[in-house]
Formats: sequence, C-alpha cells, structure tokens
Amino acid sequence: MQPALRTLNMWPASPNSTRKITIATLAFIVCCLLSTARILSYAPKSGQLPAEAVHLSSDQRFAALKLALPQQGIVGYIGDSVSPAEYYFTQYALAPLIVDHSISHPLVVGNFSASQPPAMPPDHLRKVKDFGNGVLLFANKDVQ
Amino acid sequence: MALVLAAFLCVASGFALASLTVLRGSSFATDLLLRASMSVGYGLGIFSVVFLLCRIFSVTKLIAVDGAVFVLLLGLSVVFRVRRGPGVSIAPTGTREPTWLRRLLASSFCVALGVAAYSAVRRALAHPHGDGWDAFAIWNLHARFLFLGGSHWRDGFSALIPWSHPDYPLLLPGAIAHFWSYLGYDDPRVPAVIGLLFTFSTIGLLFSALAILRGHTPALLAALALSATPFFIEQGTSQYADIPLSFFVLTTIALLCLYDDRSVSSSAPRRLLVGAGLAVSLAAWTKNEGLLFLCAILAVRFLVLLRPRFLRRASAPQNETRLESWIAFGILLLAVAPGVLLIAWFKHSLAPPGDLFSDPATSLHRLLDPARYWAILKWYVKGFLRFGNWLLIPGTLAMLGFYLITRNPTCRKPAPGVRPSVVALSLTLAGYFAVYLITPYDIYWHLRFSLTRLFLQLWPSAIFLFFLTVPLSSNGPEA
Repeated sequence: MQPALRTLNMWPASPNSTRKITIATLAFIVCCLLSTARILSYAPKSGQLPAEAVHLSSDQRFAALKLALPQQGIVGYIGDSVSPAEYYFTQYALAPLIVDHSISHPLVVGNFSASQPPAMPPDHLRKVKDFGNGVLLFANKDVQ
Repeated sequence: MALVLAAFLCVASGFALASLTVLRGSSFATDLLLRASMSVGYGLGIFSVVFLLCRIFSVTKLIAVDGAVFVLLLGLSVVFRVRRGPGVSIAPTGTREPTWLRRLLASSFCVALGVAAYSAVRRALAHPHGDGWDAFAIWNLHARFLFLGGSHWRDGFSALIPWSHPDYPLLLPGAIAHFWSYLGYDDPRVPAVIGLLFTFSTIGLLFSALAILRGHTPALLAALALSATPFFIEQGTSQYADIPLSFFVLTTIALLCLYDDRSVSSSAPRRLLVGAGLAVSLAAWTKNEGLLFLCAILAVRFLVLLRPRFLRRASAPQNETRLESWIAFGILLLAVAPGVLLIAWFKHSLAPPGDLFSDPATSLHRLLDPARYWAILKWYVKGFLRFGNWLLIPGTLAMLGFYLITRNPTCRKPAPGVRPSVVALSLTLAGYFAVYLITPYDIYWHLRFSLTRLFLQLWPSAIFLFFLTVPLSSNGPEA
C-alpha cells in the first residue's frame, strides 16, 4: 500500500457502505441546493437602489466643505442626529482630517438635517460658511 | 492600465511566493488551482506590507518597490523550483461512489458556485461601499487615511476616533491603499473586488487542498458546502475582514495538514512550514482574532513537538527524528517572525491601546461571574445550530447527519494533522469565549453583532477538517 494511504480513512468497500455514502451524499446535496436557492433569492434585484447611496451622498455633501478645510489636522464636530452614523459618515467623507466629536477646536464642522438647519449658531460658535444641505462650518470663538 | 499593472504585480508576486511554499502534487490543474488561490492572499499580504513599509520610510516609488519584490520572488521561485516526481500525489483517485452520483455532485457544485458568483457580484454592485458599518467606519476609513494622509498617514491611528478601532491590523487597509495609489484616487470598487477575490479564493483553496489530500469527491462536497453557505457569500461582499481572515486560517491549516501527512510517510518538504508560517502571520496582520489563532497554532505545534503521538497514529511510522522535529518547529517560528515583528511594532509604536483590556480590575471581576459563562455558552450552542443562515437545515447539522450516516466504527483514527488542527481551532474558539467574558461592552450586544462572524472565520477550516476526517474514501489508488 502506498504509505500515505495508510493515513486516510478507508475501509473495504461493501454494498452497504456504498449505499450509505450514496444516501448521505444525496441528502447533503439537497441541503446545499436548498441553501443555494436562498442565496439566489437574497441576491439584490435589477434596478434596486444601492443601499449605500448614503455613502455617496455623504461624500458629495461634504465635497465643497472638504476643499475649504485644511488637508490635515483636527476639526471639531456638531450635529443634530442622535445616531452616531452621521458622525461616522462625516469622518469617512473628510478623511484624512480627524473629525473629533467635540466643539473644542478652532474649526467645527456642522452636520444638520438639510430641512432644518439651525437658525442660530450654537453657543461659542460663529458661522463661517453655510455649504447647503445642512453642512456648515463654524469657528469656535473660545479656541484659537 | 495602472490598475492592470498593479493587479499583475500583486497576483504574480503572490503566485511566486505560493510556488516557493507549496509542493507540486496531484494533477497539474489541482496544483495550479491551489497556487492560484493562495496567490491572491499572499499577493495582497505583500502589497499591504510593502505599502506600509513605503509609508514608514517615505518611499514614493511604489512601482519600483513592487517590481523589485516581484523579481526577487520570481528569482527565488526559479532557484528553488520543485520538480514533480513520482509518488508525489497522495490523493486516492478511485472512488466507490457511483458515476452518476459523482456527476450529480459535480453539477450541483457548478450550480452552487454559479449562483454564489452571481449573488456576490450583484451584492457588490448594490453595496459599493460595503454592507455594514465596519466596512466604511473601520477598514475603508483606515485605507483612506493611509492613502490620502500623505506624510500625515499616522493620523488615522488617533485616539480621538476610538470607534474606528485604530488598533486593528492593516492587511486590508494597506492593500486597498496600495491599489488606490496606482489609480490616483480612492475608487470604492477596489475593496469590493478584493472582497470577491478572497471569497472565491477560499473556495478554490478548500477544493484544491482537499483534492490533493483526499481526492475529488470530498473536495467537491466541501466546496459545495462552502459555496452554499449564504452567510459566507454575504460577508464576502461586505468588505469586512472576516472572510480574508478565514482564508489565511484555512491556508495555515491546509499547509500544516499537507506537511503532517507527508511527514508520516516520507521526508516532508519544509517549505510547507514556511508557507503555513507566512499564512498564520498574515492572519494576525488581518484581524486581532488572527493573533489568537497564531498563538493557538504555535502552542499546538509545540505540543506536537513534545508529544509526537499526538499527531500520528500509533501504528504509523515516525520518519522524523527528534532533531528534525525541532528543526521543523524552528522553521515555522522563523517564518512567523517577520510578521510578528511587524505586528509588534504596529501595536507598540502606532496603534493606541485596544478597548478590550482597558480595565484589568473589572475584567477580573467579569471572569468570576458565572452568569456570563452561561450566557456565552448558550449563544455558542445557538450559533452552532443556526450558523450560516442555511435554508431549513443548518450546514452544521447537515454535516453531522452526513457523518452519522457514513461513519465506520472500525476506522477511528483521524488523518495526521487533523487532531492538532482541531485543537488549534478549539483553542481559538476558547480564546473568543474568554474575550466575551471580559468584554467591556454589553455582552449580549457584543455576542449579537460578532459571534456569527467569529464562527465564520473558522468555518472554511472546519469544513476542510470535516471532509479530511469523514470516512468517505476510495478502494485505493488507481494503478
């Protein structure tokens, strides 16, 4: 016997073992094909709106602001969303700038709902520019 | 054009490295598939490390460095070329299954693979920035810092943005940033394509490694099982790092099993150990969980050194002497060393401390809470039964049923390499368990959002070891 074959799990073939393997293989194939059907049914359909359109829109929303900011460094952040997602999107769009979720920086990025931008700048902040779509740039009067 | 050049240098470097670290075995097609599958992971690993080193040493001529690396690896692969010899193939070629069943199995695999490819491509198109927060908030964000940061690339590891996990290793971000540098802009298709490549390379690797060790029928069954796992396909396009990690875990296990199998019968090629060492260090360079796996692998290989019968059947010949075993372990350590040094430098000099070990006193208190053990155990059992998002019958149960039907009480000893690999995976799972015990986050939140992905990291290797063990074999080799 070839030496390496000693290491494999083999036993003499018999009609019974062949039948067992046939049954097991068939059942396993059925299970896998059922699951394959699920993979097919979960595949996004044609014309479906990309779920991550929000990423693209974030990059676009902050494009003008990014040009107005320094290329490196740290800026502050203020927003009206309870979810941290908006802050994360802002950081992703403005990288390689570090966006700190704090207003203790000379420049602070404002990320507000496009339909309800703040009428007045938050305390300690002075509006530098409104880029539209709820994106604003503030300066912190108390931090140089 | 730049992208084509980058892709060529990446895959060709990976292929040259794979050719250096694996042996010629089985048929030409299987051999080629094994090396091609490995070349994706190795190539992206090389690209990641090269990019980081260029950043550290402020080297701007990336293409020159890539070219030099490729030429070096190509030269080494030519010098140390392995010639195919007689008796190298160890896979049994004659199978006892009826021909119609083998054809049905092959057809089913083709259907599953086609559906998986279709679904994966559609998902990648629908989610160009990845599917889930970790894709953009961790991996692609780090890639943006590395690529766009210029001389300030270290800003991405600021403690001001701890939610982006700046302590996570850089295999994916580095490789993505490397491709972006060729393109000149941060094209979101790059991470999407890398995700697809890792997904289908894992299937190719699983198939080819098993085909070499056990023949085509177990290889087809294993590849079918992986292709038919919905969660594997979903995560493959999510742009998370779990599938790349699963790829490197499988590469490590497969190469070690190949080595152990041959060390029983003849002098095993130690280049397999080099390949396994590189793969396990790339696993650690992919995710922190990979570090856990690296420790588990080294601990188990050390155990094998102390207790050789742990590896082999009692009746099998032991060709390797004590000295040779120590040399083999030393080679594995040497292969792991560069990666470990890089990770140690990264953790020490670049990354801020991770969040898991921030409060040792509270962690100790959590370790003594029996309710946490019970909660994690329940989630482990639940995860095992539901894992993979299969339709009607979970894959784990399908495999259990397969084993119960085909098991043979007279054939109890596993193939060499299986036992240490199973212990290494079990140790890794135990490590995950320990991390959940001390997690500073809400334990149910943490389990809910990570446990199935942790299982997924080990899933391809579990399938590999299962079909390496299950007694589904031949009457013997064809003459």
